[in-house]
Amino acid sequence: MSVFVIIYFACLIASSCLAAYYEKRPTFLTLFSLTLISFVLGIVGGVPALRFVATAAGLLAFAAGISFAFREFIVIIAPANISKEVRTAPLTAAFGMFVIFTYAIAGIFAPWIAPYGESEVIASAFAMPDENMLLGADQLGRDMFSRIIYGARNTVGLALLATLAAFFMGAFAGLLAATKGGWFDQFMGRFADVIMSIPSLIFALLMLSIFGPQVTVIIVAVAIIYAPRVFRLTRAVAGNVVVMDYIEAAKLRGEKTWYLIRKEILPNSTAPLIAEFGLEFCFVFLLVAGLSFLGLGIQPPTADWGSMVRENATMISFGEITPLIPAAAIALLTVAVNFVVDWMLFRSSGLKE
Amino acid sequence: MGDLLGLVAKRLGFGLLTLLVISVIIFFMVELLPGDIAQAVLGQGATEENLAALREQMGLNKPAVVRYFEWLGNALTGDFGTSIVTGERVSTIITERFINTLFLAAYAAVIAVPFAVTLGIVVALLRNTLFDRVVNVLTLTSISSPEFFLGYILILYLAVKTGMFPAISSLRPGMTFWELLDRTFLPALTLVLVVTAHMMRMTRAAIINLLASPYIEMARLKGAPPWKVIVRHALPNAWAPIINVIALNLAYLITGVVLVEVVFVYPGIGQALVDAVSKRDFPIVQSCCLIFAATFILLNLAADVAAILTNPRLRHPK
Repeated sequence: MSVFVIIYFACLIASSCLAAYYEKRPTFLTLFSLTLISFVLGIVGGVPALRFVATAAGLLAFAAGISFAFREFIVIIAPANISKEVRTAPLTAAFGMFVIFTYAIAGIFAPWIAPYGESEVIASAFAMPDENMLLGADQLGRDMFSRIIYGARNTVGLALLATLAAFFMGAFAGLLAATKGGWFDQFMGRFADVIMSIPSLIFALLMLSIFGPQVTVIIVAVAIIYAPRVFRLTRAVAGNVVVMDYIEAAKLRGEKTWYLIRKEILPNSTAPLIAEFGLEFCFVFLLVAGLSFLGLGIQPPTADWGSMVRENATMISFGEITPLIPAAAIALLTVAVNFVVDWMLFRSSGLKE
Repeated sequence: MGDLLGLVAKRLGFGLLTLLVISVIIFFMVELLPGDIAQAVLGQGATEENLAALREQMGLNKPAVVRYFEWLGNALTGDFGTSIVTGERVSTIITERFINTLFLAAYAAVIAVPFAVTLGIVVALLRNTLFDRVVNVLTLTSISSPEFFLGYILILYLAVKTGMFPAISSLRPGMTFWELLDRTFLPALTLVLVVTAHMMRMTRAAIINLLASPYIEMARLKGAPPWKVIVRHALPNAWAPIINVIALNLAYLITGVVLVEVVFVYPGIGQALVDAVSKRDFPIVQSCCLIFAATFILLNLAADVAAILTNPRLRHPK
């Protein structure tokens, strides 16, 4: 029995005793059941299995710690009304905000953070990591780490632009349809139905095959594909606002459609729209990543997470995990946005169950 | 019963209409090309004679509306024209691949559907416990990961490091059924992971939604145990949303399959579509898109019809 195993079980048992002593029932149950499971795991999988559990728990604790610290940080620096909201946020949401913040920093300051340029060839193909290159080189000998940093700017930037385009188109059409009503509303509704009944990836592939894989085409294609979803939601939310008395009053005052949308309807339907923006971003981000994985996204030599996975996929058959890092970066950001959206939806709906 | 049939017929009619509109979109989208298909295929350096010959061969001299109806009529009888790049019949390229794709999707669905629905019910029963939260975070992670991420993780750990399953799903004619299942296990598992997460979350939401209704409160107050409340009282009313969820996710499988096929080099229709897109082989792109869209719509249609048929209020009219 190695020292690691002894320390492992000593830590678990000591902390479950502490939890039991302070009457923290859920914590105690979790810790103690983990101890029991570890006995079985240790017998079946040996030390590596226990090491895996310890690493996972350590990572989890690290993530929880950093989320907690980040939440406190926001509570202190944010103005009073925001910090009151943030104080009640669950740790997952704080974690999400932390990840989004990190990505934003990486994307904005990419040229200063990355040690090399995104298309600079500095080593031989698939060179191993050394003190110059944190993650080694890719299939053309470019620094993997620098390309991942630049990818934060290119991939996320493209997804953000596309989401904004889809969002503004959809929200504008939705607000207009809710305010105008009548045949315009009907027509837009049917139109949205038709677009939504084509699978999004297939529709994107169709458009890209015709107009070629350029950034503008991707943005327009994504905007056309996702605008109907935003339209549906905006139409539904604004539809509830339009029937209010104050809208009637504004109409009687003789206000124009544009004023009604901007001053009366929009301020009263922002909360669900912001949550929808987050969700929409996740869909768009995954679609764009999928397209660039298929070689139809941002074209080389610009660094882009999806195509990086594809180009370095051969390394996976040698047991390397480096090609998975860009894919993990995509997954992490999507999870983070989802966590934050979950919290916002929970808060705005006031759901307790 | 008349009402019920009327509803179903109306829904079917609407589905067919959507399909027609989509075929129009798919066909006329290609007409938006700067120049025409012949120009796009041969490039800028093409001579006038070559262009004219290709136009003649593809029948581009007829008006677009006439060509649309010919194309649609041929597609309905299973004739999708010929590939621009290789000159093969599109139907011979696609048919076998389409069967492969359907096999993969069915394989994934057979594992995912029972698993996801059971898990969804269990999680609804144990809602707001630690187990629920852990499952919530895990499914959220699975949904948020791109399909190729999950696929490569599975390749790395189940194929490269442990060698339990083959990393590439190449199919040969004359394979036994077991060999086939073994070869396609990893792509199927990738699809299962993605779809299960969606389906489970939606099943949980559907059941929890119902648990707020007064008749469930009544069942609880009369002292029925929690599992009985769910299985006897909530589930019969939850079937409609759950069937809807299943069908929606089967439809989702159809698009998810494209990326997974590329990751595992599986000879399916998604791979054919991606190849055709980068070669700009429009007849193949159009037919693949039409097949994908039709499958997607048919599944959605099936979901709606099943929802109508399982709705207790419609089945037993007052």
